[in-house]
Amino acid sequence: MSKQARSGSGGDNFTRWLVIGMVALVVVTGVAFSMMSSSTKANESFKALDDYTLGAPISTTLDSGAGSGLVLNPGAPVRIDIWEDPQCPVCETFESSLGRYVETMIRSQRATVVYHIASFLGPESIRTANAMMCAADESQYLDFHKSVYMVQPALENSGFYSNENLIKIGEKIGIKSEKFKECVASGAKLELVKTHADSMAAYNVRGTPTVFINGKLWERMSNSFDENEFRLAVEAG
Amino acid sequence: MKNFNEKFQPIITLLARLVLGAVLLVAGGLKAFVPAEAASAVAAYKILPTQVAHIVGYALPWLEIAIGTLLIIGLSVRMMSLISGAIMVVFIAAIISVWARGILIDCGCFGGGGVIDPSQAAKAHRAYAIEIARDLGLGLCALYLYFFPYGLFSLEKSQSVKKESENV
Repeated sequence: MSKQARSGSGGDNFTRWLVIGMVALVVVTGVAFSMMSSSTKANESFKALDDYTLGAPISTTLDSGAGSGLVLNPGAPVRIDIWEDPQCPVCETFESSLGRYVETMIRSQRATVVYHIASFLGPESIRTANAMMCAADESQYLDFHKSVYMVQPALENSGFYSNENLIKIGEKIGIKSEKFKECVASGAKLELVKTHADSMAAYNVRGTPTVFINGKLWERMSNSFDENEFRLAVEAG
Repeated sequence: MKNFNEKFQPIITLLARLVLGAVLLVAGGLKAFVPAEAASAVAAYKILPTQVAHIVGYALPWLEIAIGTLLIIGLSVRMMSLISGAIMVVFIAAIISVWARGILIDCGCFGGGGVIDPSQAAKAHRAYAIEIARDLGLGLCALYLYFFPYGLFSLEKSQSVKKESENV
């Protein structure tokens, strides 16, 4: 014990500060590197929208009986209710695997699709939900919602889904109206966002994505979102 | 016991340095180059405000790498034992905190992290217990190194050891 106890003298003090300095340098450099690589990645993700062609507008109505869900193509024989949080990574997987099929069903008028935008993953989900509802007013919900998932960053609430970036997403895909920008910037739809969020409990939705086909919960069997499995479930009603 | 420690202390110190250092180095190395994952893992504990949690997530892997390297080469071992002991206490407190609040997450200790499906609750709780035990063990290594920082294959020698070797 006595052999180990003391080691203090002038020279050692210098070593100590040198070591502290080096550790601090490594940590600070690491943080800078990590922050830079995250933000570059986020900004590069806009490139995914470079050649985006905006689809034909589809008007959206609110289903006041179903938590004010956003209804696309009402009156079809099959009704699909989809619950998603714009920041949820599994919802991104759902969109990239089944989004195309869902869009075809809407555009070919074979299904009524009702989107419920959950926003339990933090302030950026709420902001993005607001912008998505603004896009619905422009009859461009489908495309805006698709592009929001195309640029989704790996990190939740990292500052990426700011109102500026949400407006930029709109601009990139061709939603350029002043009304849209105004709506995003002012948070005009925040009340509706809250109505959507509150309706989760009424539908017993605990996570996202959750899908109901004709009011019946879709329980997927495969680990991935398999298009065939989903198509069969939709066709069975 | 005292005799045993006197006899084997340099070896025990070496082992403690290698175990603690290697675990920290591996844990840091696995996380340092997936910063987004590390940042969301810290945010999933819901202890710090999101933005602060992200910075901690970016910084922690590099701190672990720095401490781990210094422990393995044996430089400033006593100071590193203090820092690593302190972060073990923080880790244990964080896991107890999520456990007590009923949050189900992967600790993200060696990469990964994030919320776990409620159906895996039993597994997650067992993992919490194992993690606390592991961090306690590593904390004990740190404690030992605080009292006996000088051992075999260490870059830095205690002053009395230096004197002894000069006398020979």
